[in-house]
Amino acid sequence: MTELAVEVRDVWKKFRLYHERNQSLKSAIMRQRTSRHEDFWALQGVSLEVAKGTTHGLIGKNGSGKSTLLKCLAKIYWPTSGEIFYRGTMASLLEVGSGFHLELSGRENIYLNGSILGMSRKAIDRKFDEIVDFSGIERFLDQPVKNYSSGMYVRLGFSIAIHVEPDILVVDEVLSVGDAEFQTKSIKKFAEFKEQGRTIIVVSHAMALMDELCDQISWIDSGRVVSTGGSSETIKQYLGAQS
Amino acid sequence: MSYLGQLLRARELLTNLTQREIRGKYKRTALGQLWSLANPLAAILIYTFVFSFVFQIESPVGDPSGLENYALFLVCGLLPWLFFSRVLGQGVEVIVNNSGLIQKVYFPRIVLPISLTSAIFFSWMFEMAVLVVALLFLQAFGLIPFVPLVLVFMVLLAIFASGLAMISSIINVYFRDLFYLVSIALQFWFYLTPILYPPSLVETQSAKLGGLAGTNIELIDLYRLNPMESFVAIFRNLLYDNRLPDLGSVLTAIVWAAIAAVAGFWLFAKKEKQLAELL
Repeated sequence: MTELAVEVRDVWKKFRLYHERNQSLKSAIMRQRTSRHEDFWALQGVSLEVAKGTTHGLIGKNGSGKSTLLKCLAKIYWPTSGEIFYRGTMASLLEVGSGFHLELSGRENIYLNGSILGMSRKAIDRKFDEIVDFSGIERFLDQPVKNYSSGMYVRLGFSIAIHVEPDILVVDEVLSVGDAEFQTKSIKKFAEFKEQGRTIIVVSHAMALMDELCDQISWIDSGRVVSTGGSSETIKQYLGAQS
Repeated sequence: MSYLGQLLRARELLTNLTQREIRGKYKRTALGQLWSLANPLAAILIYTFVFSFVFQIESPVGDPSGLENYALFLVCGLLPWLFFSRVLGQGVEVIVNNSGLIQKVYFPRIVLPISLTSAIFFSWMFEMAVLVVALLFLQAFGLIPFVPLVLVFMVLLAIFASGLAMISSIINVYFRDLFYLVSIALQFWFYLTPILYPPSLVETQSAKLGGLAGTNIELIDLYRLNPMESFVAIFRNLLYDNRLPDLGSVLTAIVWAAIAAVAGFWLFAKKEKQLAELL
């Protein structure tokens, strides 16, 4: 029996689709009600098991519910019903550099962003040089982040997030950041992660990359898991269904 | 109380977000933090000109300090008010303004209103320090033993203000009108609080009117329902009069602060999981 890092048990997630959303007092009073909506089930009984130390991919069409699932895993959305269990600490990387303060320097933002992602000050102190090294922005460390090129911005954000070193890392389509060299570096870092027994859950549309990175892949469609299995087979199945 | 535990674990984040507010605010200005003194100074000049010079309102005499100076009387009430109105006025938007962060990263959302309050508190401390120095310069040495108490009540007002900011920031997610309503409410609230004038003037009018609509309730009783009336009275007692505030005001202030903080905390604990999808 392998040890599980993440267990998703029969998760359902409901969204309300608003036909009229009365977020102002006037419309609420004029129409005598606050909203008219219908329910939309983005996730319909998803169950997953992710073994410790593996990389698990989620694939599916746009609107299949994979991003909703990822956000549930990242604790940004909360399942309407069902439960998600974690063994260990979890950090998520859904967008690089969210929470950067543009007027502050790269150095200040490393501390700010690190703590938003759940790192302690001590941990950031310890990792500081590695973060700077990995991002390759040494020369611009004391410049305000707003003067950074988009590549530098993204590299710094990614570098901070990857150095949080959680037991479980939840990653959205962010592997496509940076130039080829940075991508290779990132993939190497993920491999290192795995060697340390950490678990990664990742969403991407880049099938070649997913095939290389993942041990297991789940194919999600219309809020349900269609199949879970070895990466190559699941990708083949998925691509077969598309054509 | 697991939400409280989460909040305690997030205190480093709280510190960092507070620093972000403070450092980011006056970046690239020549005067920096000194700007936070500009608004109160302008207000003091304007109100003193209008009320003391034009309307010739009598300056209340500090008992036992013996101070008799309208500008000082004003500023002892004005600084707490400006702090309060900034926290509430900016706090109502704090969730909506940080929607990008809320939708991308998980952290206890309650750190947002708390860090905003802390950052504004920092400016307020600066203002109050200048006021204390000014008072000492005018030889109100009776103030010295009360300085620690001033700090205690500053914290109490911060708890009250952040509680209201928490409540309003959540309601603002549902009803974006609240932001505009709050800015108007704050204008009424300012004039209904004895900041520009001593409360004794209201007492006189109230006594003239007698019981309202055939009841025992006088105008002053309604007037005193305002929590800021108690807070302003406390700060004036300490800073302007140099004496202990009366127990009634202190108890009222404590009760209001407790209600606001508990309600705000409860609302966050209940609603925070839904915030990301509501925004």
